Amino acid sequence: MKRTRFFIKKLLWAIFTIAFVVVLNFFLFRVLPGDPARQGIRDPRMTKKSIEAVRVRFGLDKPVINCFSSVNPLKVGNCFINPLDTQFFIYARNLFKGDFGISFHYNRPVRDILMERLWNTVLLIGAGQILAIVLGVTVGVIAAWKARTSVDYGALSLSLLAWSLPTFWLGMIFLFWGSNNGFPIGGKATPGMSSAPLNEQVADVLQHMILPTLTYTIIFMGEYMLIMRSSLLDVLSEDFILTAKAKGLSTFQILKDHALKNAMLPLVTVIALNLGFTMAGAIQIETVFSWPGLGGAIYEGVVRRDFPMLQGAFLMIAVSVIIANLMAELGYSLLDPRVQSE
Amino acid sequence: MRYHNKVAALFIVVMVSLFLAGCGPAVQPKIFKIGWTGNPDSLNPGVGLSSDAYDIYNLVYDSLYQLQPDGTYTLELAESVDVSKDGKTWTFKIRDGVEFHDGKPLTAQDVAFTFNLYKEHVDDFPYMAGYVTYFESVEAADDKTVVIKLSEAIPNMKAQLYYMYILPKHIWEKLPGPQATDFANSEMIGSGPFKLVEFKDNQFVRLAANKQHFLYQPKMDEVIFQNYETPDALVDAITKGEVDMITKLPLEKAASLGQREDVQMVAGRPYAPIVSDILINHIVPENCPEAEGGLCTGHPALRDLNIRKALSLATDKQRIINEVTYGLAEPGLTLIPTGLGQFYDIELKDYPYDTSEANRILDEAGYLDINGDGIRDMPDGSKPLKFRLDWNETDTANQKEANLLKEMWRQIGIDLEMRPVPQDVLYSNCCPAFDYDIQIGQWGSDPDPNFLLSVPMQEGIPTGLNETGYANSDYDRMYQEQSTTLDESTRRKIIWDMQKKMLDDVVYIIPYYPKSVQAYREDNYRGWVVDEPTLSLQDLTNLTKLVPLSK
Repeated sequence: MKRTRFFIKKLLWAIFTIAFVVVLNFFLFRVLPGDPARQGIRDPRMTKKSIEAVRVRFGLDKPVINCFSSVNPLKVGNCFINPLDTQFFIYARNLFKGDFGISFHYNRPVRDILMERLWNTVLLIGAGQILAIVLGVTVGVIAAWKARTSVDYGALSLSLLAWSLPTFWLGMIFLFWGSNNGFPIGGKATPGMSSAPLNEQVADVLQHMILPTLTYTIIFMGEYMLIMRSSLLDVLSEDFILTAKAKGLSTFQILKDHALKNAMLPLVTVIALNLGFTMAGAIQIETVFSWPGLGGAIYEGVVRRDFPMLQGAFLMIAVSVIIANLMAELGYSLLDPRVQSE
Repeated sequence: MRYHNKVAALFIVVMVSLFLAGCGPAVQPKIFKIGWTGNPDSLNPGVGLSSDAYDIYNLVYDSLYQLQPDGTYTLELAESVDVSKDGKTWTFKIRDGVEFHDGKPLTAQDVAFTFNLYKEHVDDFPYMAGYVTYFESVEAADDKTVVIKLSEAIPNMKAQLYYMYILPKHIWEKLPGPQATDFANSEMIGSGPFKLVEFKDNQFVRLAANKQHFLYQPKMDEVIFQNYETPDALVDAITKGEVDMITKLPLEKAASLGQREDVQMVAGRPYAPIVSDILINHIVPENCPEAEGGLCTGHPALRDLNIRKALSLATDKQRIINEVTYGLAEPGLTLIPTGLGQFYDIELKDYPYDTSEANRILDEAGYLDINGDGIRDMPDGSKPLKFRLDWNETDTANQKEANLLKEMWRQIGIDLEMRPVPQDVLYSNCCPAFDYDIQIGQWGSDPDPNFLLSVPMQEGIPTGLNETGYANSDYDRMYQEQSTTLDESTRRKIIWDMQKKMLDDVVYIIPYYPKSVQAYREDNYRGWVVDEPTLSLQDLTNLTKLVPLSK
């Protein structure tokens, strides 16, 4: 019962946050200077009529919201119009229907473009995160157990180094190294592979994934290692570990049954929070390796001022971070039942 | 812990085995790989805007005329043409036996349908408005004959028809009204020498040779345009032999390629000429398009021809070319670039780089430094000669050019307020708002000068096409005259006069015409055509002639 109420409370908060993001996301792009229609039409040789046609097509001819016909420059308009005929409510209503609008640049529905991109990013981030977590936790545990030995210091300095490397720089290094060693350096698949048997296609994608995943793993494993090490060191200094030792439990049993579960808590928080930051890393990695993911879409969206694409991509990221946080909180309550009562 | 290790080990084994599985031998078709930092924005020729998209259209579609690298036009889909005496009726005979990629025949019906479709979508197919302006009616008399009636005889009909790709009626007739605008055209059925096999957005475009084409028989089997997001990756791809050629290489990266033995770098006039320009807002208050949002905040001094002349004299174009484009550009003159061949006025002499002459003009016109701060002031002392300079903040070449201009113009006592802005702000400051003093910009040109010549027309002030506020009835009259003069040498004479007028009135300062930079390798293909007047390795001139080396 308690758990259900806790769950509902967290879920309501998540929904509220998403609604807030939708509003912010919409107005953020409307207050930026410039005319999105002029950018959608990058060519000034278009006639006035065609510019008007584009405005109608993208719904830019409608007032932004009741009382405001435009936010930048700020223009006050009629307050007594049908709210359903304003840009904001059309946007909100379309979102409910799963319609993210039409990309200025591609002239195609944003949802179709982003969904494909999203899976590519999930693939890259997913593989990178899993490897980073597995390696980071493993090295962290070893370093904590062998604290203040040369193993610990070695692991510690390597992790600090990995953590502080600039993402794009490491990516470029791998790009140049990889191209000299026969690795594919651009894109997600070799053109022409779509007619090949499935196992060859998968192998081809995996080959393309190696360098970006490696970059991703190295950047994030350092952080996980550092957190795991310090959190485990804290736990290992607790009295109940001493008791466990006194009971004559083996090293492995102490780690597995007593220390690790307690030490995992901070790591779960960081992993969930990281989902947001990993997107920033993904933008750089995807750009360096021409990986067709969400990060690349954001980069191109900014360059081309493709607002519907950016709005869609930001919303997707915001929603996935909120969901990740929700899951982390629920995961907490499983790891540590005391959390629910707070 | 041990369990984790097992999972990790298993994962590595799976990855390695899949990796090896990908390396098996197979009979390879002759593939030609092009690296670019590009991606077609749309496969629908009605709505595509980027030059990347046009590169693909040009290979997949046919039109009535093909533009040759020397600037002439040859018949492509049509086997003959007959023009009436008054130049208003064009009758084309379409070739027999031409087929679309899906096997359906291409007839005069498709041609007439396509042109009428473009006419119908004059407002929502962005580029079409310019091409169908004078089309009164298009009809297919029979399956072989197309009759185009024009409202006025125009000298540049071939240039218009060249970009009007012929679409299959049996597909596009099912798309009434806005459906044609929304159409993704993912199958891209055309009749050209290459057909679309696969398009992965932002990854690659894969084309197969259409060996049944009536004019061209490409010797390769496939062409792949592979997208690289960064110029560094692009340079890396050509030096490592991952691609056979690269295109759209930023000028600043060209230096890193120059000295290699296995990679040939070529720079030449681009197929579609580019003009890098410096816009000077000199609109007079009477012409301010207030109804269209005109603010007309330009510095009053810029309306004085003496100031514009002085700025022109104080601009060291050669230095800009050396430092901004690394020498990969030709000195600019007016809006009509060298790439337009005979239409470029070779007899016209530019203002020399001469700061003392510029200073003399300014002194004489009364622009003296009244308050002694090193910057000249208006003759009445009301304002210093400090102009706002806008450019696109993401463009590093423009950034460099802006710094050079500040330094050069400082020599004649003129200061600049540097305003790097996003591209759309640049446009909204520009026109028809005229809320700027000086901007760095760029124009892309059609193969015919008609469009660029129309830019400084007075009627373009309210629409924003006229970016500088130039208003000259002599110029406008000459424009009308050239657009209906059918005799080529008479028309050229008028166009040369128009260039002189633009230069005399300093409508723009044109620092340079950039070259296009490409690079190729000869490991897999021989027979590169690089000595034509224009350079474009990724178009039909090369793709239909290159011979694969058997290894």
